[in-house]
Parts: sequence; C-alpha cells; structure tokens
Amino acid sequence: MIGAGQVGSTVVDALHAEHEVTVLDTEPARLTALGYRYDVRTFEGDGTSRRDLAAAGIASADLVIACTSRDEVNLVAGMFARRDAGGATTVIRTSNVEYVELWRAGQLDVDFVVCSELETAHAISRIIGVPAARQTDVFAEGQVQIVEFDVEEGASREIVGVPLRDAPVPRDSKVAAIIRGQETTLPGGSDVILPGDRIVVIGSPRAAQAWSALLAPGGAAVRNVVVFGAGRVGSAIARALLEQGIAVRLIEADRERARRAAEAFPKARVYNATGIDPEFLERERIGHSQAAIFAMRDDAKNQYAAALAKVYGVPFTIAVAHEAASVLAFEQAGIDVAVNPRAVTAEEIVRFAHDPRTKQVAMLEGNRYEVLDVTTRPTSRYVGTKFRDMPVHGALIGAIVRNGSAIFPHGDDVLQAGDRVIIFTEAQNAPWVIEAL
Amino acid sequence: MSMREAARAPVIGRPRRLAVDLAACADLLGTLLKYLGLAALFPAAVALWYREPVWPFLAAGAITSGVGLGLERLAPGEAQRVGVREGFLVVSVTWLAAAGFGALPYLFAGGEQLGRPLDAYFEAMSGFTTTGASVVTDLGELSRSMAMWRQFTQWLGGMGIIVLALAVLPRLRVGGRQLLEAELPGPEIAQLSERIRSTARRLWVLYGALTAALVLALAVLGWTGVDARMSPYEAVAHAFSTMPTGGFSTQPRSIEAFSPATQWVIALFMVLAGANFALLYRGLVRRHGRAFLRDEEFRLYVLLLALAAGVVAAEVWAYGLAEGEAAVRHGVFQAVTIVTTTGFASIDFGAWPAVALLSLFALMFLGGSAGSTGGSIKVVRHLLLGKILRRELDQTVSPEVVMPIRLNGVPVDERTLRAVAAFVLLYVGIWAAGGAVIAIDTAVTGAGLGPLGALAASASALGNIGPAFGVAGPMGSFEPLGDVSTLTMIGLMWAGRLEIIPVAVLVTRHYWRL
Repeated sequence: MIGAGQVGSTVVDALHAEHEVTVLDTEPARLTALGYRYDVRTFEGDGTSRRDLAAAGIASADLVIACTSRDEVNLVAGMFARRDAGGATTVIRTSNVEYVELWRAGQLDVDFVVCSELETAHAISRIIGVPAARQTDVFAEGQVQIVEFDVEEGASREIVGVPLRDAPVPRDSKVAAIIRGQETTLPGGSDVILPGDRIVVIGSPRAAQAWSALLAPGGAAVRNVVVFGAGRVGSAIARALLEQGIAVRLIEADRERARRAAEAFPKARVYNATGIDPEFLERERIGHSQAAIFAMRDDAKNQYAAALAKVYGVPFTIAVAHEAASVLAFEQAGIDVAVNPRAVTAEEIVRFAHDPRTKQVAMLEGNRYEVLDVTTRPTSRYVGTKFRDMPVHGALIGAIVRNGSAIFPHGDDVLQAGDRVIIFTEAQNAPWVIEAL
Repeated sequence: MSMREAARAPVIGRPRRLAVDLAACADLLGTLLKYLGLAALFPAAVALWYREPVWPFLAAGAITSGVGLGLERLAPGEAQRVGVREGFLVVSVTWLAAAGFGALPYLFAGGEQLGRPLDAYFEAMSGFTTTGASVVTDLGELSRSMAMWRQFTQWLGGMGIIVLALAVLPRLRVGGRQLLEAELPGPEIAQLSERIRSTARRLWVLYGALTAALVLALAVLGWTGVDARMSPYEAVAHAFSTMPTGGFSTQPRSIEAFSPATQWVIALFMVLAGANFALLYRGLVRRHGRAFLRDEEFRLYVLLLALAAGVVAAEVWAYGLAEGEAAVRHGVFQAVTIVTTTGFASIDFGAWPAVALLSLFALMFLGGSAGSTGGSIKVVRHLLLGKILRRELDQTVSPEVVMPIRLNGVPVDERTLRAVAAFVLLYVGIWAAGGAVIAIDTAVTGAGLGPLGALAASASALGNIGPAFGVAGPMGSFEPLGDVSTLTMIGLMWAGRLEIIPVAVLVTRHYWRL
C-alpha cells in the first residue's frame, strides 16, 4: 500500500484481516496511527523512490495499491511496481479522468485505475438516475446499464403479471433474469414478472429510467437536477447525469471555472453565482429542481447551501462530504444523502482487491451471474449470424457496441467482427461464451 | 557583438515616434508589385491573338514592375520586419496600387469611355475588388483584349492578390500569416494546412480548378449548340468573372444574353464561389461530403439562398416579369447573384417595382461565406451576431447565466465576437455615410440616381456586388455619377474588399504613433 491517508486507511481497514499489509508513506505520524490500530507493517519512505519501494519489499508483493492523493506519485509507483514486483496486480488511484480513459484504452500498464471523482459521480448518478434500483452497473461509457430491481407490490399492473411478450417492455431493453427465491430464470416470452421478484434488466439509460417508473410509479424519474460547484467532482457528476439525458443546471462561483464548465457542457445551463444568494435562488426557480447536488470544496458551504435549497423547496438533496465526519453531520442536518469520495474510492479498491475479475465483469447475485464485455474476433463462428439464430446457452446478449455507440439488437440484426458484446450469463457458462466469441 | 562594441556607451539616438516600419512595407510592396506586373502578359497574349495593340499592356506591366523594383531598391532586405502592424498597411496599399496598375492599360488605350484617369481607376478598382460596377456605357466598343483584361483583373483579385503571391512566389521573406489574415479573414482558413504557403497554394489550386471546370462547362454548352453565343472567349471571360464573384460581363445585357442552360450553370458556380473555400477543399478534394452538412455557416448559407430565391421568384411571377421556368430561373439567378455579391443579371432588375427592389436591396447585406470570394457582411457574421443577440436576451432574464457562443460546436472566443459586432457596426456606418455622400452628390450633379439608388450604390460598392438600381442598374452604368461619388465608391470598394478593419485601423492614431 502506498499512501496512508483517508483512502489508504479505509482500504487497510478492509484488507488487514485477510492480507499481510505493508503501508508506505512519507508521514511518520500517519504510519504510527495506522500501526496502532491495525496489525500491519509500516514503512516510512517515498512512493516515487525505487529504492524505498524495494526496501519496503515490493518484490514479494501480490498486490500493489498506490492510493496517495497525488496522481504523479501513484503513476510512478505503479510503473515501478510493474517492473519490480513481477506478477503483482497493481491498482492506482487518480483524480484525473483522462488516466481512466487511457487505462480503458489499454494505454496504461496497470491492472486497475480508480478515480475518486468518477466513482463519486457514478455513485451519485446511480442514486439519481434510477431511484427504484437496488444496484446498477454501467458499461460502454455509460451507454449500457445493467440494473437490478426489486419488484414491489405497488408496481405497475401493465408489466407485472403479464407474459413478457405482451408486456410494454421499454424500448432498448431486455429482461436478463427473473430471480424468484432461490430460482433464477433467463426469461422467454411466456415468463411473467411477479411482485416479490428481483429482476435484472439490460438496456439504455433511458430504458432503465422507464423501468424505474414502471416498477415504482409513485417516484417519478428525476429529469432535472441542479449541481452546486463545477470543480472536478461537480463536473464529473454533471457529465454522468447529462449522459443519462437528465437536464442539469450548474452553479459555480468562480467566473473562470464557470466559463470552462459552460464550454465543456453545451447541454447544461451554467450560472456564475454563489448559490447562497436568496434573490438568485428565487429568480432562477432553483426550488423547482427535483434534486440538488452539492459538490463544492468546502463541506460547511455544502451543508449551508443544501439547507438553503431545502428552504427554497428542493425535495431531494445529495451532498459531497470531503471529511469523513461530515457524512454524519450532513445526515444529522437533514441532507438526504451524503457521499464521501474517499470512502467510495476505497470501497472500489477493496471490491477489486477481493476479486480482480471485476475489471472485466460485473458480478450479480453473489457470483452466480456475470456480465461479460467481450470483443468479437473475426474468426468467431457467430460472425454474420442473426441474433435470432444463435443458440441458447444460458446467456443473453444485452447490447453490442459498434463504432463506439451502443445498439440493442433485435432478432434480425447480425453480429459483426469487432463488435463489443455485453453478455449476461451464468458464471459457469462464461468460459464457453468467451471462447465462442 | 565584439568586446569593443559592448564597452561603448549606449547610443540612444533620435526619438522615434512612428510605430510602423515604412521601409519594411516599401520593400514588401515593391516585391509584390514587381511580380504583379507580370500579370499584364496574359492580356498582351490575347491582344496578339486578336491582332490588337499589345503595347498598352506591356507598358503597364513594365511600369508596375519598374516601380516595384525601385521600391525594393529603396529599402532592400527589410521585408522580414513586416509584423502585424505592417501587414495592414502592406495589404491596404497593395490593393490601391494594384488598382493603379489595372488602370494603366485603360488609360494608355485612351478612348471616350475609360480615358479619364478617375474612370480608369474606378474600373480597375471595381475589377480587382470583384465588385463589377462599371462606368463603361458601351461594352461593344471595348477591344477584345481590353475586355478580357477587365475580366482578368477580377480573377486576380478574387482569391486575393497577396494570397496569390504567397502561393506562387518562391519566397516572400515573411511568414505571411499576418498578411493572409488581413486579406482573407475567416476563422477556418488558417487551419487548412500547417504552412501558410501551402494553405495559399491549396486555395489557389482549388480556385483555378473550379475556374477551369466552369470554362469547360460553358465551352461544352457552346460547342453542342445549346448556347450559340457561348464562344471559348466568352467561356473564359465569364469564368473569370463568376469564380471571383465579380460581375463584369463582355455583354451589355450581362448574362441575359445567354441561354437558360448557361444561366443555370453560372448560378451553380456562383453558389460554389460564395461558399467557404476551406470547406470546399475538404468536401470536394478530400471527399468529406459530410463536411458540408456539418458546417453551420454552409447550412445557413444554403438556407438563405433558398429563401431569397423563393421570395425573388415569387415577386418576379407576381409582377408578371416572367412565368414558369423563367420566373424560377430569374428568381434563383438574381438571388444568387446578389447574395454571393457577384452582380450578374439574367434580367434587368434595375427597373423592377420598388417592393422587388427592396428585397434585392436587403439581400445585399447578406454576403457569401467566410473564406469565399464573396464580399459584404458574410453569413458567418450574421450567424454569430444572431447568437450574440439571443444570448443578450437570455442574460437579460438571468444575468448570472454563462453561455459560450459556439460555431460548429466549438466555443468562439469573446474577442472574436466583439470583433464581429464591431465589424457589423462599422459596415453599416460606412454604408450609411457613403450612401449619404453619393445621395447628396447625385442630387447636386443631377445624376438621377435618387436616394434609394444612392443607398443601393453605396451598399453595392461596399459589398463588392456591382450594380445598383435605376440608371446604375445591371444593364446600366455608373458613368452619370459625379467625381465625388466615383471617388466615394472607389473608397467603399477598397474598404469592402479588405473587410474594413485593415483600412479602418489606418485612420487611428494608435496605429501610427508609439
């Protein structure tokens, strides 16, 4: 572990029981505090020094996590780990979305990249985007969502209790699985969704919202949101929400940053204002937003602005809490959800550390189902086959990504070489599916 | 620097108050004129072919090149000091000098029509700036070589004299970006290639190729007998006038003299000439056809042309000026010729009823696309101005809202937007002032243009369009105008061709003084 800050200590907390952990940091005080709380080895040194890393024993590590707050340190440490730690799995934390994109494109030689801003944005957009969902995962840069819903008694009668072939299934989506008690079915046209079921849906973000509206008719889908603060976190949140087709208004006090945000997000409306000016909040009808997100740098400001927004009538408030203690304070103060970026990041690292396969796949229902993201080889025997003619092997093609955009295929569409296929499958079938494509 | 020199006391010298490096300007201007003189060889060859006097052209070329050489001698090797400041002066003076060169053959040939120096200069300025306004009353009287020279000056001026120099001269000893931007403003032009020289070359090659295509198309119409009057000579002459959106014709009745097929072909090429050449390059040469659809300015340009054509065609039909295909053709042709600032005519619109005239008058302020050979305000400025106004309204309601203005999805820098607003204000101001001068002068001299005609003449000269209304209509002539009006129009054409700013900065104190 390189870095013993908030993220580092949260990760240590989760991993120290099952792993032998060595923590490297430049601050002796942090190391001492960590050493008193957990049974871990601490080492005072610099993550960018190859000598210090060697002395800390990087050569024998199975997993190297670089999670300091500085991108450069993490990148350099990750690079040295790749050279000196042989087969070790490397994870780096970054605050720059560009590195995540590089890594996804295979240009960054590490096993996993976590971006606090991105994770925070995804966490918040999941809360906002599909209010009725239990869990959501996004694929293909957010164009494809896999969502688990619990079907309640209040769900719309149009979809519940009706055979799927007759039900108004939202466009660009498929029901991948119906889980009833211990039994799971990959449904066909004659299957029926019943109250008490848990279902897995693959589809476009819009379709996911439509499902949410069908399954929880009372809570209308969130269509307009106001985001306070257009810094890194605020911008990442705005981008994630805009990708889901949600109308976003951004409020930023800094003139230059407001200008940059306005240039980056043509679809958002950006205001250069403090967000705590009552006259402004009243005139722009900020209270008419369905939800407000507070992503300013200062926790105290977030809390006050959120309280003010509540006064002006915003029903649902989500605030970013930079300090761990703020999470409780926010909830105490009546903010609906508080999100701590470091905690979210640490959770993501832990999730990966437990099972490195999450890089490629999302796990659903324990480990019984996997969602694979596979690129079709030109030699695959299914290239040129219509989807309706493909065999059923306990797997379902939810979406394909062709030339960067997602397509939700119908029976007459044809699989092409180079298509990225997003497949929902039983875990036991996964190797067969990967091989067939 | 040697030790001895360094040890000397610093030489402070005389106080210098002039901010412009005149020697550098003179050197560069000299080089440009030296080569520009060679352009006289083309009409000289035409004169030889038709056994007409060759000497007016050779003398004009020799004088121009001689003056150029002299200027170069005056300040040898200074041209590399041409900066942004000098660029404005060089470009402005080059165009004045080019018109002077263009006037020499008219002067030397003498004759009733262009023998007066002011008239000859007007005609040459009108040619080089691709305006197409003429003081000639009887075109049939001009010799073939002289008529071809008139057409050729437009072709030289179309893509820009300096852009041409950058493209063909071995080396100009200056970077050239400052010159290109002063002569051919437009955000996209400079991005066509990394090197200014190859940008200039590509623009001229495309321009030449389109001209050749038009010559061929017109010649085929002539050969196949579709248009009996379209000889190879006429084909070249009208291609030289169409591609630069000039407007001079060898025919007294302009394009009315030719068949409907010819009129349609010329209308099509006028539309091309009024499009952004950088875009044409991408669309036609690199075959990115979708570039046209994606370009906001091009879409608006086509939309405006279609609307204008519809309105004019409806008026032509409603007033009984033509019917059926002819009404549509005249509508399209007149709309295209005015919007692209060419100034041809397929019908004598100068004598139309007032309502129809007013709509043509309004079209004079549209102009072609940025980076085209067309003049006037240009479509992209209208587009940006519209966006500025809309943002202004939005910010009146919500002062805090931040709205970058985008062109093709890319945010446009605020300084560029201010420049657009300033340009349009200057343009309208200069048009009104010019119109007032011409109106007063024609009232005094009794030239019979009338106030509307005077305002139209001013708009037509500033927009490099050509014809006005009434006596100065497309089949008429500016010959009845007094000297004051003629001079005013020369100034308007010059300022309009250089898009005002390079000329306007020359009258500011800040430009000249340190």
